[in-house]
Amino acid sequence: MLAMRGIAKRYPGVVALDGVDLTVESGEVHILLGENGAGKSTLMKILAGAVARDAGTIEVAGKSCGMATPRAAQQAGVAIIYQEFNLVPHLTVGENILLGREPASGLPGFIAADALRREAQRWLGELGIALDPDARVADLGVAEQQMVEVAKALSLEARILVMDEPTSALSNAEISRLFEVIRRLRRRGVAIIYISHRMEELAQIGDRVTVMRDGRHVATRGIPDVTLDELIRLMVGRELKEQFPARRTARGAEALRVEGLTRRGVLHDVSFTLHCGEVVGLAGLMGSGRTELARAIFGADRIDSGRVMLNGRDVAIDSPRTAVNLGLGFLTEDRKRQGLVLCRDIAENTSLASLDRFCRGGVLSTARAEAAATRLATDLRIKAPSIAQAVVNLSGGNQQKVVLAKWICREAGVLLFDEPTRGIDVGAKTEIYQLISRLAAEGRAILMISSELPEILGMSDRILVMHAGRIAGEFSAAGATQEAILECALGPKVAA
Amino acid sequence: MKVPTFIARHGRQAGTVAVFLMLCAVLSVLTPHFLTTSNLLNVAQQTVVNAIVAVGLTYVILSGGIDLSVGSVLALAGVVLGLALEAGWPLPVAIAACVLVGALCGVLNGMLVAFGRLPPFIATLGLMSIARGAALLVTDGRPVSGFDGSFRWLATGELLGVPVPVWCMLAVYVAAHVVLHRTRFGRYVFAIGGNEEATLLSGVPVARCKVGIYALGGGLAAGASVLLTARLNSAQPIAGLNYELDAIAATVIGGTSLLGGQGSVFGTLVGALIMGVLRNGLNLLGVSSFVQQVVIGAVIIAAVLLDTFFKRSRR
Amino acid sequence: MTNPFRTFLLVSLAALLGGCGREAAKPASDSRPVIALVVKTLNHPFFVDMQRGAEEAARAANVELIVQAAEREVDVERQMQIIENLIQRKVGALVIAPSGSREVVPVIVKANRAGIPVLTVDTRVDAAALAGAGGQVATFIGSDNHEGGRIAGQFLAEKLGGRGRIVVLEGIPGHETGDARLRGFREGIRAHPGMVVVASQPANWERDQGYNVCQNLLQAHPDVNALFAANDLMALGALEAIAAAGRRRQVTVVGFDALDEARAAVKAGAMAGTIAQNPALMGRTGVERAVALLRGEAPPVEIGVPIELIK
Repeated sequence: MLAMRGIAKRYPGVVALDGVDLTVESGEVHILLGENGAGKSTLMKILAGAVARDAGTIEVAGKSCGMATPRAAQQAGVAIIYQEFNLVPHLTVGENILLGREPASGLPGFIAADALRREAQRWLGELGIALDPDARVADLGVAEQQMVEVAKALSLEARILVMDEPTSALSNAEISRLFEVIRRLRRRGVAIIYISHRMEELAQIGDRVTVMRDGRHVATRGIPDVTLDELIRLMVGRELKEQFPARRTARGAEALRVEGLTRRGVLHDVSFTLHCGEVVGLAGLMGSGRTELARAIFGADRIDSGRVMLNGRDVAIDSPRTAVNLGLGFLTEDRKRQGLVLCRDIAENTSLASLDRFCRGGVLSTARAEAAATRLATDLRIKAPSIAQAVVNLSGGNQQKVVLAKWICREAGVLLFDEPTRGIDVGAKTEIYQLISRLAAEGRAILMISSELPEILGMSDRILVMHAGRIAGEFSAAGATQEAILECALGPKVAA
Repeated sequence: MKVPTFIARHGRQAGTVAVFLMLCAVLSVLTPHFLTTSNLLNVAQQTVVNAIVAVGLTYVILSGGIDLSVGSVLALAGVVLGLALEAGWPLPVAIAACVLVGALCGVLNGMLVAFGRLPPFIATLGLMSIARGAALLVTDGRPVSGFDGSFRWLATGELLGVPVPVWCMLAVYVAAHVVLHRTRFGRYVFAIGGNEEATLLSGVPVARCKVGIYALGGGLAAGASVLLTARLNSAQPIAGLNYELDAIAATVIGGTSLLGGQGSVFGTLVGALIMGVLRNGLNLLGVSSFVQQVVIGAVIIAAVLLDTFFKRSRR
Repeated sequence: MTNPFRTFLLVSLAALLGGCGREAAKPASDSRPVIALVVKTLNHPFFVDMQRGAEEAARAANVELIVQAAEREVDVERQMQIIENLIQRKVGALVIAPSGSREVVPVIVKANRAGIPVLTVDTRVDAAALAGAGGQVATFIGSDNHEGGRIAGQFLAEKLGGRGRIVVLEGIPGHETGDARLRGFREGIRAHPGMVVVASQPANWERDQGYNVCQNLLQAHPDVNALFAANDLMALGALEAIAAAGRRRQVTVVGFDALDEARAAVKAGAMAGTIAQNPALMGRTGVERAVALLRGEAPPVEIGVPIELIK
């Protein structure tokens, strides 16, 4: 049904996809597996016509398709259900399913409400979904909204349906209902591409699995022939040990102690410590509460209970400002939205958190601020024509270095790094690793959240693993393996 | 500052300045009355009120906000000044009261935006009506007029052949420029407008800054009202109708992005001058007032098109 | 900056200005005297009539006439700027309908200094303020708004036999013309104790606001039997509201300005009366006197334009 061959896509400084092949048969549920940043979503965006490819061909049912625009992709029979739904919350289920294709009544411009309801009901019926076509989408739960998306895709006569982590927000009962719908689609001959991190779902629903890593196709296997261990090895399989700097840990005094931190529904009784000179890796799946933990410590989200101690003293961090003044730094997961003022230049971003240092009575010494920025830009090897370059024009790696420069400039002693190498090419990654290592050697305490297990293993002195808002396990660097961490992160369910 | 640094920081204004100079060139060809010292000073004087209101608004827009209340705040502050002078308060005290009222209106705006989490459009739209009503209320709808010579000097006086209001405008711009580029507060204005969340997560007191920004906007509107009142020798509760729109236009023509984070007060000055020169030139040419509105509207649209076009070409 | 767009922008800007220039260039080539008429606004029929009268006079006297106005009637600063710019242009004489009777004083002084004679029409400059600033107005041509209001009040009282419950629609608060009309109106009904103003609210000179305010007041005061509006636009709006309420027979309406539409309404019996100020005559007289002044004839200090009650 679908054949993608030699798909390539490069962004400035990053090769996102490097000649990827993917074929999916009619009536097949094809699992797409890979770590974050492996290139799965870029590949799907190319299929959906949302991103233009640099090379490669796409065939649907033997016919070559350009997929130049989302509309062309839709006409070729491709439908994608993203994690963020594309529904209009204030319209009804029926109106959403048939949005843009409402049955006309006799009067031009008016909608035949009855016909619309019947039509919507028919599609819902085909899928065995019990939903009232007149219900408002905003009043539905996540699982029901997902069903509306599926019905909408079906009504568009989709021959290829992509589902991006469809079960991430569903309960067990809802998951089995979703699987029932997927099996019906499979019987209708729809080709389904199913992206998921949940290993236990593979055997339940998948026919074949393709593993991607670093923008490359690694392997495609039939589900019955593959073991969980093999898949994990294929996913993480890289042998890039040499990219991590050799580190000598000199563990100093306790810098940060968190006890019983709880934020209702998100974090449950989280306790850990962080010492000067130490890098603690924080692993876990998406949605396990890693980012939320960092935000809570940093005062960006309110906590319900628990205490935070810095250098042995109890502190009440009620805002990021307090956190920064107490010597915390937070390198956020999404540097464009939360880390940088993109339209401003390198110098301004570097000094943003530490303007107090360059001010006397509110008057800024631009010369000193710029000198500091220049020094850091040279030190961190930020590649740009000048420090007056707007950071929006920098590559991902250089942008990340600017964020690092901001916290180094602030002389933050406790650093929370959330996915410090996301979306950064391999060369820049190595530089970031060296920087992190150097910061630790200088006596800073570092908590490093990462979804890349080699990174966690290569950089950490200790490793914490989160699952469902709790610390599910702790490993020493010596005693940890990727497999053990992944198992711990997948939670108790996967044992079966 | 090295040359590439300078160009990266001020390249935008070069375009605005070019448009301004070209406008002047065209007008001096079309009418002999344009390029005379007295007319240029005349244009400068006519630009003063809009320019000062616009500089406050530039701060607000740079921070990613908008202030629709400046015209009404100008009227309210103006009548406070008028009533204070009428009641025999000394001039410095009366001006201080006037500016204080303007700044307080701004503080209220800022609190509604920063702590009340109202969209700036809504908060300032509300205050626009409140301030206008208050101005009419305290004066019973009548203009307050007839002030003594020492106050009128603010409008009629000259220093080194240049009218006092023009000096005031230049002083405000120099100060606004210095504050924007040479203080922590100024940096925060850009940062908040560029990315509020990142700024907050960098430990910047965003809410307090916002209150300050709107207070500055209100205070500068009040400052403009002092000069306007002196110029007209009268404080009118209906003064400043739609001045917020002129000020927004000057800001936008000057290259400040309505999305915040990018722009300069210097650009706004040139923007205000472009509007002043346009109106002056069209008057000199004897163009009908209806055509004038068309031309001014076209220039505003062209400026904003330029703005978005420029941004797109950089992506 | 990339160029095609910029070029397009500059070319169109130049074209626009060039167009304006051509429009202005025709008369500028001759050496006829230039007279400028600056009115309050050109989107009110009153001032459009004034412009028409002035144009007739300018044609007859073979002088060049420039007519300009602010976009908004109440924008005194803008009117001041226009006058300043015309002073820069060195026009021969200025005929001004001041937007503010005190606010116009500083710019009159400027014109005086530049040696340009100033004539005012329609609205009188505040005498004390003018004298205080040392300014001079050659002549005032206009009718008395206060007197017009008085006539309207008297007429309404007679029409209703001295017993009336009146709603008044005011112009924009703080506006000299409207205030004078209202003061005159109150004076006109003072002799009739049976005439009571039950409500007096601003409708800002506008027709749609006249409609809305009148509708609200009819709700609040069901016993109203008379309405005075400080201009015809508001009166015409109010007429619609009264008709919509089905109370055309009960409510007697008097307006001000004698717009064509108002005259028609009076003729049709929908409106009881309106005060005619004859703006066209004001405009014509203004230009004629300015021409005479330039020839060296000293005009009288004040020229009255008769007020007429249209009923």
